[in-house]
Parts: sequence; C-alpha cells; structure tokens
Amino acid sequence: MNNWKKKVAGITLASLAVASLSACGSNNNNDASSSPSASASASAGSSATASASASTDTSKPVTLTMLLSGSKAADGEDFELDTLPKLVKEKFPNVTLEVQKLPDDQYYTAVKAKLASGEGPDFFTVFPKLANMGAIEVAKAGYAADLSDLTFWDNFSASAKNDMSYEGKPYAVSKGMDILGVYYNKSLFEQAGITELPKDWPSFLEASEKLKAAGVTPITMGDKDPWVIQFGMYQLAANSVYPADPEFDTKLQTGDTHFSDAGWIKTINQYKELYDNGYVSKNSLGMASAQAMQQFVDGKAAMIFTGTWDLPGVTAQGAAEFERGFFSLPGNDAGQPVYASASTAAGYAINASSKNLDAAKQVFEYMFDGSSPLFEAWAASNTSIPVYTGLTTPNAIFNDTLAEIQSTGNAYYFSNQMWPAGVSDAMQTKFSEIIGGKKTTAEDVAKAMQSKYDELNK
Amino acid sequence: MNRAVMTRTMYLFVLPALIFYLLFWIFPILKLFQYSVTDYNGYVQQFSYIGFDNFKTLAHEEILGVSIKNTLLYTFISVVLGNIIALALAFLLNANIRAKGLYRSAFYIPTLFSAIVVGFIWSYIYMPDEGLIASLLNKLGFTGIDTNFLGSYDKALYSIIAVDIWKNIGTSTIIFLAGLQTVPQDLIEAGKIDGAGRWSLVRFIKIPLLATSVTINVTLSVINGLKAFDYSYIMTNGGPGTSTNTLIFAIYKMAFTEQLFGKASALGIISFAIIIVITAAFVLTLNRKEVSA
Repeated sequence: MNNWKKKVAGITLASLAVASLSACGSNNNNDASSSPSASASASAGSSATASASASTDTSKPVTLTMLLSGSKAADGEDFELDTLPKLVKEKFPNVTLEVQKLPDDQYYTAVKAKLASGEGPDFFTVFPKLANMGAIEVAKAGYAADLSDLTFWDNFSASAKNDMSYEGKPYAVSKGMDILGVYYNKSLFEQAGITELPKDWPSFLEASEKLKAAGVTPITMGDKDPWVIQFGMYQLAANSVYPADPEFDTKLQTGDTHFSDAGWIKTINQYKELYDNGYVSKNSLGMASAQAMQQFVDGKAAMIFTGTWDLPGVTAQGAAEFERGFFSLPGNDAGQPVYASASTAAGYAINASSKNLDAAKQVFEYMFDGSSPLFEAWAASNTSIPVYTGLTTPNAIFNDTLAEIQSTGNAYYFSNQMWPAGVSDAMQTKFSEIIGGKKTTAEDVAKAMQSKYDELNK
Repeated sequence: MNRAVMTRTMYLFVLPALIFYLLFWIFPILKLFQYSVTDYNGYVQQFSYIGFDNFKTLAHEEILGVSIKNTLLYTFISVVLGNIIALALAFLLNANIRAKGLYRSAFYIPTLFSAIVVGFIWSYIYMPDEGLIASLLNKLGFTGIDTNFLGSYDKALYSIIAVDIWKNIGTSTIIFLAGLQTVPQDLIEAGKIDGAGRWSLVRFIKIPLLATSVTINVTLSVINGLKAFDYSYIMTNGGPGTSTNTLIFAIYKMAFTEQLFGKASALGIISFAIIIVITAAFVLTLNRKEVSA
C-alpha cells in the first residue's frame, strides 16, 4: 500500500471534521428548541451574524435577536412576532429583528443556557426584582445592559423603573403594571342571585356558596399546571400577610419573619378553604390551564383566577355568550379594605455583551419615544396597565379595579418577586397535596416553603 | 509496508473520533462530578466548593426517596407488562392470520410518533369528565368511576406508564417477531414428532430460543424505564405534587426551576450509579440464561 493514499485520506477526514464543526456553528437561531443543550448550540450562530457590525453605521446590515417569554397571539397579528420586526425594519432598513417566543418554563431554561454560554439573544424578557430571571439577578450576573442613558425614563412611572433596577440603575423597560384578579361571568353571577360583588372574604365565600347551590362550578383552575396556584395565593397574601407587615419579605432574608408566621398560615388556609368547600372544580389537578380557561369561556364555571396578561384568553369566543368582569380577590376580613395584588410587569432587557448594543438601544429609543408608529402599536397591543405618561389602558374591564388601586394605593406586589426562584415551586408542590385530598396542612406547606427558602437564600 | 508504521497510522485515524468523544462525552461527565460539589446555579459563573453538602441535603430530603421509588416502579411495570404484552403480540402476529402485514404495521405506528405528540394526545384522552376514556365510560353507562387519571395521586404514575408501554410496544414486538422467525423449523418438527403439544412447543422450544431477544428487549426497556422523563414532563409536570417525579425529571426540575445546578449534578451522579448497577445486574443474569440455537 502506498503512503500518499493514506495521507490524502487523513486530510479528507480532517477537513470533514472541520466542515462538520463549522456546520454546527452556522446554525440559525430561529427554531424553537426546548432542550437546553440543543438551544445552546443552536444559538451559536446568532452572535456570528450579529458580530458582523459593531458600529452604528446604518448602511451595514444588522441582525438583532429577541427571545421572549410568552405564546403567540391566538388570532390576528402578534405584536412581538409580527408587528415589531416589521416596524423596526421600516424605521431602520438595515436592522433585521428575529423574534422567538417560548412558554414560561422553556423560556427560563433556554435563555439561561444561552446567556451562560455567552450566546445570549440581544433582547430578552426580564421580570421585576428577585423573581426567576428577575432584574436584580440578571444585573448582578452581568447579563443585562445598564439602560440609564436612555432618554425616555421620565415618561415611565418611578415604581416601574425601580422594580427593574439594581443599585439604582435600570436594566429593563417594563411593559407596565399587571394585576392579579378574578375574572367572572356576569350572567352566571346574576343567575345565582349575586347582586353585589364580594368585598371581603366572608362575602366571597357566600357568593361561591350561592353559585354552588345554583348548580354552577364557582371557580375553575387548571392545577395540572401548578403555577396557577400562585394566582389565588398572592392575592390572598396581599390581604393576609403584607398589610400587617409590608416588610415581611425583606425580613425573611434576615430571619426575622418566617413562612410559618400567622400571616402565611392564614393565607394558605384561606385558599385551602376554597378546595375544602368544593368551590374549585373537582378534578382540577387533571386539568391544564388552557383547559380551565376553556371551561370559563364556555360558561361552565363562574370564575377563574389569573392576571391582566390573560385577557385575550379569557375573552376568547367560547360556547356561551356572556359579559366578563374583573375584581380583586377579597382576602380581607369584614370591615377591612381590600388590597389588590399588582406588580410591575415583565419587560425587555438588552444583553450587556450584545455586539450591537447601540443599535439595540436605538430600537428602544424609537419604541418608547411616545409618538412613533412602533410606540402606538406597542401601546395598543399591551394587555398590561400602562405606566407611561399619557397612556391609559384600552381595556375597560380593568377600570374599576385600577381606579380603586389608584385612589387608595391599596396594593402589594406578587410575593414571588421577592423570593428566590424555587420557593413558589415548593409552595405549589405541597399545596397540590391538599388539592389531591391528602392530609397535608397549611403548616406543612409553610414548612416546605421555609426550608426551600433557607436552602436557596444564601 | 512496515507493520509498526501501519499501527501508528491506525492510531492517527482513531484520533478525530477520539477527540470528539473526549470533548463532548467524557469531559462533560467529569464536569458533572466537579459541579456536584459546588453551589453552581447554572447561570452566574462564580461558584464555591461546598464539599458533600449537596449529597447530605439530598439524603434527608423526601424528593430523593420519592423519585427513586417512582423510577423503580416505572421500570418494573414497564419492563414486565411491556414485554409480556409484546411477546403475546409477537406470537399472535407470527401466526398464520389474514392481513398479517396490516396488523404488524398497526402495532408499530405508535412507535413512530415522537413522545411529545403521544403525550399531548394522551393528555386529552385522559382528561377528566370530557376526555376520550371518560366519555366512553359514560356512554357505556359506567358513571361512578373516577376519571381524573392524571390529577390523582394514586393513578397518575400508572397512567403515564401505560402510555409509555403503549408507545414502545411496537419496538419490542418487532424484535420478538424477528426472533421467532429464526426458530429453526426442524426443531419444531422434532418436537412434534416427540409428541409435544402447542403449549410445550412454546414453553420448551420457542421461548428458550428467544432468550437473545428477551435479553435485548428487557435491557432496552430497563434502560428506557430508568431514564423515564418524557411523559412526566409532557403530561403531568411531575405532579400532582411530586407523585410522577422520576429521577431524571427531578434532576431537570432541580437544575432549571430551582436553579440548583450543583445539587442537580449530585442527584445526577446518584442516578448514574443506580442505572449502571441495575443495568449491569440485568445484562449479566440474562446473558447467563441465553442458549444458542
């Protein structure tokens, strides 16, 4: 056998190896992949294309990537997936925006893998304060860019800016304010003879009892997706925990308060009461959140707990025609005021190591300038309550709740924004046992939350 | 050519594959061992070494016991039931019946779908009150039966095991079928001449000769069961509570929802050890029982 043949073969093999490596590298970032390793490798391409242009030179083509938490609008144009890239292209012809949306769970996994491997998207969703993917966390880790030099901050409410800040500097632009509440079916309420919206916990239980007596499922929840447990729980906590001690969560960090304190035990017991009395649809543990939503729009259940962001789903056309209403779940004792559960909404951040930081910031300047077509489109599609000067919510269903919050100031944030990610999960897991008819008590749930908190709060 | 040069060149050819193997397979596994003694959260790139704390916390948390128990139960049921049903099917499909090809393809179809599709379809079949099973039972007049399959602590795990068996039955059946067709006709004839009945033929000739297929199928389904993740993730999210948490699902959840990569790595090592021990034990015992035709 002659030697040169082997050499040729060796070189061929080596070049094959190189080719297959580079094939990995040029993968496009568009496809939604739920497995972390796959998305990590798929993202390798995004920075390669993004690195093409580092300056703000408008003649050079720039590709910006955006990874968001959420799902595509059920019908019509989706603002982020359809409208946003189109309007950005109109204003900045050289900028191509590639947007990808993932459901919550997958979003956390994918965006973290991408950021940790240094291949993060240029824009990504950030949640307020300490929540999972919260502003404080991403800023601390150095993944989000400091946005203090943007010019539109005066138009945003101070709290929206503060909740997205770390050490006094804003790191994300919030979409507005989100409120947790009860969506209800007005005709079913009427049928059951409920003339007045419940204003405190006893009257809420009474209303549920009336609905149940009238043969209507009072509340539907898709507990197979356990995170929906938070929607009722935080509203109750806003009444049973924070009014007595607004600093409860801060004190948790130092060990001055505990989940086993009276406030949280009361909260969990209140929520437990709804299940014990059979007000929540039987078999809720076997139902996904989308299926619960379907029950509500089909007129099979009178109420569902969720937030302002679910308005499109809750108002979708179902089997029954009825008018929807919205109120804060009154966890307060008789004679006490109702406290709402309202928080700064999730927002957009820019990757600190983006190769096109300036271009990305220019997009933000344009998007939030108060008059551009992009701003108009954003304002019109936003289900969160706007916190931008001069904007009001286009969704009249929230007006009453909003007016009350604005006049009294009676509202507290969503509890998990001040907890390390994982505590709410422990709460859901343990509370599911109560729903499932096990002998778990509120004290057990609180204990599970506390031990997870202690483990994570280092 | 010189023999020594030849051998040396051979090594060169192995090199590209070896580099890939080390880089993308061995190195990450070693990394896992490193992470298991840290408090790495998978996200912030600074972390500190905390010794065996992760293992200690795991040892007295209920999640470890629950997920090991669920995984073993999952494996046991899917191995036993899956293989018995597959074996029975293989005998049926090996018989001389009409439209044999059609049946064979029909049983193989579920295998062709991805787990995500199967899981999605079955979550609707299992839906309480309005799902396929619930409405079928209603039509047939069985009204008192609890149809909350995925939402009940007692039934959820078994419900997802059933789906796993349903999906994988095709593969096992095909392997058994192939095994059955290699059983030599002369042995069967010899058996018949010796006066063996139909059952004796199955018991003393066909099944012993299927031992190789049994080893393959049992080993494959043991591994499949120990690695169970898909249906917990797709159909129940590990719930209700932790009742469908398998080892791999618990690792996933720990790493990505609780952001405890270090602890998840520790759990990964524990399950790695469990899987190796069980698989090795199975392969060794079954190998000894094989006979060659």
